[in-house]
Amino acid sequence: MSPEQTSLAFRENSVRALQDPALRAAMKQATDTFGTKRADAFAPVRDLEALRDRASAIRDDVLANLPMYVDRFVASATRAGATIHRAKDAATAREIIRKILADRGARRIVKGKSMVSEEVDLNSHLEAAGMEVVETDLGEYIIQMEGETPSHIIVPAIHKNRRQVGRLFADRLGVPYSDDPQVLTKIARKAMREKFLSADAGVSGVNFAAADTGSLVLLTNEGNGRMVTTVPPLHVAILSIEKMLPSLTDLPAFLRLLPRSATGQTMTSYVSVITGTRKAGDATGAKELHIVLLDNGRTEILAGESRDILKCIRCGACMNVCPVYRTVGGHAYGWTYPGPMGIVLTTLLTGMKKSHPLVDASTICGACVEVCPVRVPLVDLILGLRRRKVRDRFNDPRERRGMEAFGKAAASPALFALGQRLAGAFWPVVRALGGKDVAGRMPAPAKTPLRRRLP
Amino acid sequence: MSGADRGRLFLENAAKAAAGTHSVSDTGDLLAALGRVVAIDSPVYCPGVTPIERAAAALFPNRVSDYAAATVTVEEVFGAIAETGTLVCSSEGGRAVQAGLLPAHHVAIVRRDRIFDTLDDLFAAVAAAPPTNITLVTGPSRTADIELTLAIGVHGPEKLDIIVS
Ligand code: SF4
Repeated sequence: MSPEQTSLAFRENSVRALQDPALRAAMKQATDTFGTKRADAFAPVRDLEALRDRASAIRDDVLANLPMYVDRFVASATRAGATIHRAKDAATAREIIRKILADRGARRIVKGKSMVSEEVDLNSHLEAAGMEVVETDLGEYIIQMEGETPSHIIVPAIHKNRRQVGRLFADRLGVPYSDDPQVLTKIARKAMREKFLSADAGVSGVNFAAADTGSLVLLTNEGNGRMVTTVPPLHVAILSIEKMLPSLTDLPAFLRLLPRSATGQTMTSYVSVITGTRKAGDATGAKELHIVLLDNGRTEILAGESRDILKCIRCGACMNVCPVYRTVGGHAYGWTYPGPMGIVLTTLLTGMKKSHPLVDASTICGACVEVCPVRVPLVDLILGLRRRKVRDRFNDPRERRGMEAFGKAAASPALFALGQRLAGAFWPVVRALGGKDVAGRMPAPAKTPLRRRLP
Repeated sequence: MSGADRGRLFLENAAKAAAGTHSVSDTGDLLAALGRVVAIDSPVYCPGVTPIERAAAALFPNRVSDYAAATVTVEEVFGAIAETGTLVCSSEGGRAVQAGLLPAHHVAIVRRDRIFDTLDDLFAAVAAAPPTNITLVTGPSRTADIELTLAIGVHGPEKLDIIVS
């Protein structure tokens, strides 16, 4: 994994992505498929808009009362036998997890897919401490083998085609080459089964946490989420604070929306609801459950004007429909979260200074808002960040000077008319100097300006 | 919804999620159905706790007590949900929920009177005191991680058979 953030190089990253035909073909195929599957899955749902309203209202309520729900969750999860650790930032979370594992002599760790663990760059920290970390989601397994980072929050290896995966497996696992996804899946199953049965600990993310019961909810199709949380004796879950739901009875609304939005399935194959540790008489459950509650800037986001991004349930639908994401793929965004939600979250979590080019990576077409199951106002959030970018002077100084000049001229008819005459007079010069890069994109000024042609 | 409708809707939705579905009316039927979906001499894990499981267990001479070593798990599960064709497995009563996960073939028996209409009905019933683990199972283990092409049986069972009894 390379945790280096490259969001500042979004433009260069994009240019490179545009020149990679395999990537573009993979992205097109995948995002098209997603679009159709999602539409098909929602077609039979009656009252979809009411369902979205309901889910959105529940998430609003969670954000409005987050500290209370977090406290309630901590109390109920503790009662059920879990041990809670609060981590204010990424470094603290990594260190807490390393220590839990090291104190118990854990050497082989099986991991379920968790974007939050990517956010805090957990793997490299554990590996540096001498532990073997095995990603068990097939997509994560592939990119871990390749030394890459995920390029999609649901399908991490979306940028790879079957031949690339086939060659990788043949190379690293010494198996005969195949480009049949079913054969490749079987190979991975066999390799990972051995790791599961001999693992000292499982580390997982969490999709939702129920404040009233202290339950963790995990959705996986492959079954690795079930494996990681029930097979090893020790389970460490990393949970960002905004994933709360007030009650376990709120879960159905999200179970109806998340799988359909994420993969176009009516229901994910497996939904695990884990409440505490193995109790007397139980034959299921980790003997020790540690929940690392991660803040990492979220309390600050909650207090600011972009708080609605914390409603996000990480379905990935907004990226699948985003014309920018569909064209350049996830790696161009340069950090854990890509696409429209990634623009907002990356800028807020890592700071404008490290990510400001991202806020321009949107056409503001609104496709993301149309599909978001919990009504995150992504366009408003991105526009808000653009205003902040200008206010904090992170935009290009030439653009700033141009806009300031235009602002002055637009406020004065005389200046405006002068500007128009100058533009007309100097157009041949602009054309000659800028070449087709400028003249090819910008229309020549009209001979008679529109405002003089109007009565 | 009447019991029969509920059972039908459940099996219809489970079939859409690629589960094998069977409906039986008595123990004789049940054993016949089991005989059709499982090779009798396979290494079978069957907890043999409920009356249905005890009847089922007698069918398989080659039973194993460690589910990790079994190729098939035959068990009665906590319940099901008609809305989504989902099985509900619970750790309640000392049951090993992961027994339905490790073997390549999971055969789940559901009593007709244990089918809930909707997800809401299930969670309303369990939210007051949830057991350590509840796992909702909809179809076999699957992935679309390679080119969004469906592949079956990643970590969990590649084959799921459901018998409503
Ligand atoms: S912002 Fe909305 S559409 Fe995008 S990942 Fe989050 S929940 Fe899904």
